[in-house]
Amino acid sequence: MGLLRYTLWRLAQAIPVLIGIITITFFLANQIPGDPVEIMLGPSPAQEQVEAIRARYGLDRPAYQRFLTYLAGVATGDLGQSIYYDRPVLEMIMLRLPVTLYLTVSAFVFAIVTAIPLGVISAKRRNKPADHVSRIVSLIGVSTPSFWIGLMLIIVFAFYLGWFPARGLPVPWASPADVRGAETQLQVLRTSLYHLAMPMVALGTLQMAQITRIERSSMVESLQGEYVKLARAYGVSESKIVRKHAFQVAQLPVITIVGLGLSTALGGAVLTETVFEIQGMGRLIITAINNQDYELIMGTTFMFGVAFVVGVIITDIAYAYIDPRVAYGDET
Amino acid sequence: MATETDSATDGSTDTEGTGAGEVEARVGLRYTLRQVKRDTTARIGIYTVGFITLVAVLGSLDYYVFDYGVAEAIWYSPVQDPEQVRRLLPPVGMENQYGQGTLEHPMGTDHRGRDILGRLFYGTRIAITVGFMATAIGLVGGTLIGAVSGYYGGWIDDVLQRVTETIYAIPFLVLVIAFMTAFGRDLSFAMIGVGITSVPVFNRLIRSRVVSVREEDYIEAARAAGVKDRNIILRHVIPNSFAPVLVQATLQIGVSILIVAGLSFLGFGAQPPTPSWGQMLSASRNYMLPAPTFSLFPGIAILITVIGFNILGDGLQDALDPRINN
Repeated sequence: MGLLRYTLWRLAQAIPVLIGIITITFFLANQIPGDPVEIMLGPSPAQEQVEAIRARYGLDRPAYQRFLTYLAGVATGDLGQSIYYDRPVLEMIMLRLPVTLYLTVSAFVFAIVTAIPLGVISAKRRNKPADHVSRIVSLIGVSTPSFWIGLMLIIVFAFYLGWFPARGLPVPWASPADVRGAETQLQVLRTSLYHLAMPMVALGTLQMAQITRIERSSMVESLQGEYVKLARAYGVSESKIVRKHAFQVAQLPVITIVGLGLSTALGGAVLTETVFEIQGMGRLIITAINNQDYELIMGTTFMFGVAFVVGVIITDIAYAYIDPRVAYGDET
Repeated sequence: MATETDSATDGSTDTEGTGAGEVEARVGLRYTLRQVKRDTTARIGIYTVGFITLVAVLGSLDYYVFDYGVAEAIWYSPVQDPEQVRRLLPPVGMENQYGQGTLEHPMGTDHRGRDILGRLFYGTRIAITVGFMATAIGLVGGTLIGAVSGYYGGWIDDVLQRVTETIYAIPFLVLVIAFMTAFGRDLSFAMIGVGITSVPVFNRLIRSRVVSVREEDYIEAARAAGVKDRNIILRHVIPNSFAPVLVQATLQIGVSILIVAGLSFLGFGAQPPTPSWGQMLSASRNYMLPAPTFSLFPGIAILITVIGFNILGDGLQDALDPRINN
């Protein structure tokens, strides 16, 4: 009961934030210099043509009216019309969003799967060689630009060794007809995973390093807890203490950092998609900017915000699930 | 000077369970510096950051005072060379389809025949400036908002916190890109944009400290003595929240350098021919096969710089955390 109420309450809380995001993106998009109609019609278009287009996209009305229309549109699931492509923005986003989510979620899976053992080993063997190695790895991880990791991976694993393809990312649920060299769904999955490997590592390294650091310090603290001392006094084996007693408690800060890391990862996806030429949300926003496609810029920025807010809500609920005190505590 | 003494006396409430005389010495800039010097990793951090900053300063001197003095010497111009044979040279001791590396260009040359080491050298200037400026903007903005928000509470707190939360809710690289599209693509807007995105980080940090400091007796006493709110915030509340902010600021410089490198990589930021690391990496993408080392060195430069700030930040944290010292 507590968890359900907490979930609903968290969702309700997100509404003002989403309205805030729309306000910021609308304000920014309105500041963009240059005229999209001009870009669309070429340098010297006929006057009637310009006016017709302006009327069609509502550009002739004052800003506050357009803002209210846009807000109402978003509430009903209409993100407007891309001026450059002449297609609904939502439709374009829905084509690209799955690719970006596929990449980002995989990067987090990679990060968590590698970081948790590293962090736990590091905490267990504190100040021993294994700890130093893991700390240096995570220090390098938080200090390396993700796009550079991508470039290095391409040079080594695509150009020299030829193990993985350097560009593109087909999603595993794509139809075999759309993926080159694949005839069955299983082959699509295989191709997809081959394409995924390098971008996943490039994007996930930073998250991996951050999670390792938190996991280590959290485990170190947890292993010094009274309950661990008690368990030791009762003669519980050391590996069981780590697995059962210390580990669970130590995961709370890790969940928080995963939620916050989403912001970095979604931003990093823009860079990773550029490096690996993946047709996702990141490429979409860059093309939209280059074409001065207002509605598409607003739509993509908004969707990035939505993706982050939803991600944070999911991590918050996961937190409340593991630590029920959150859901039953005073809701302020 | 006055604020420093304030923080020294006021901070004594933070460290409990130690002798009074010792407490006095446990805070303040001099004590921190002594702690940092004692820590080996922090020392490495200081040396790295010091070295990079020195390179940046020398680069600026060369650029502004001597008008590209050294740069001319190592700056190979393809225009002056009619044959254009020395393009994309590899580093010393290596070979590629364009020839063999020479000592004149220890790290080789880029696609326009310019010395990579020289350009890395000048790139330092931009990275350091951007790192410090963006962090300063975030620090000042975040500290003011956080302090005011936490000190007054009530509706002011609510409004300010909702606004910063909203800024935080857009992935920051996307926000800076949108911001720069709206206002301008050059470096100054990159700094402001990255600064704005780091406002929520400092805000959150300061606010949580202020909320606990606000209830302290000495603040109560200052208020009873008729000290203005503004002075209480500036003289007592902010100095007492100084330590974690200093640590965060050091780490944030590294983060800002990474973000701006990413922005330059995407074409937002320093415009060519100004050498910046991100933009060098962006240019290298077209030559990854014939000249892989072209992509290698700018990345290493970023890596070393950011590692320096991260090590320094970690060292400061250890030095400033009273729990670890005890």
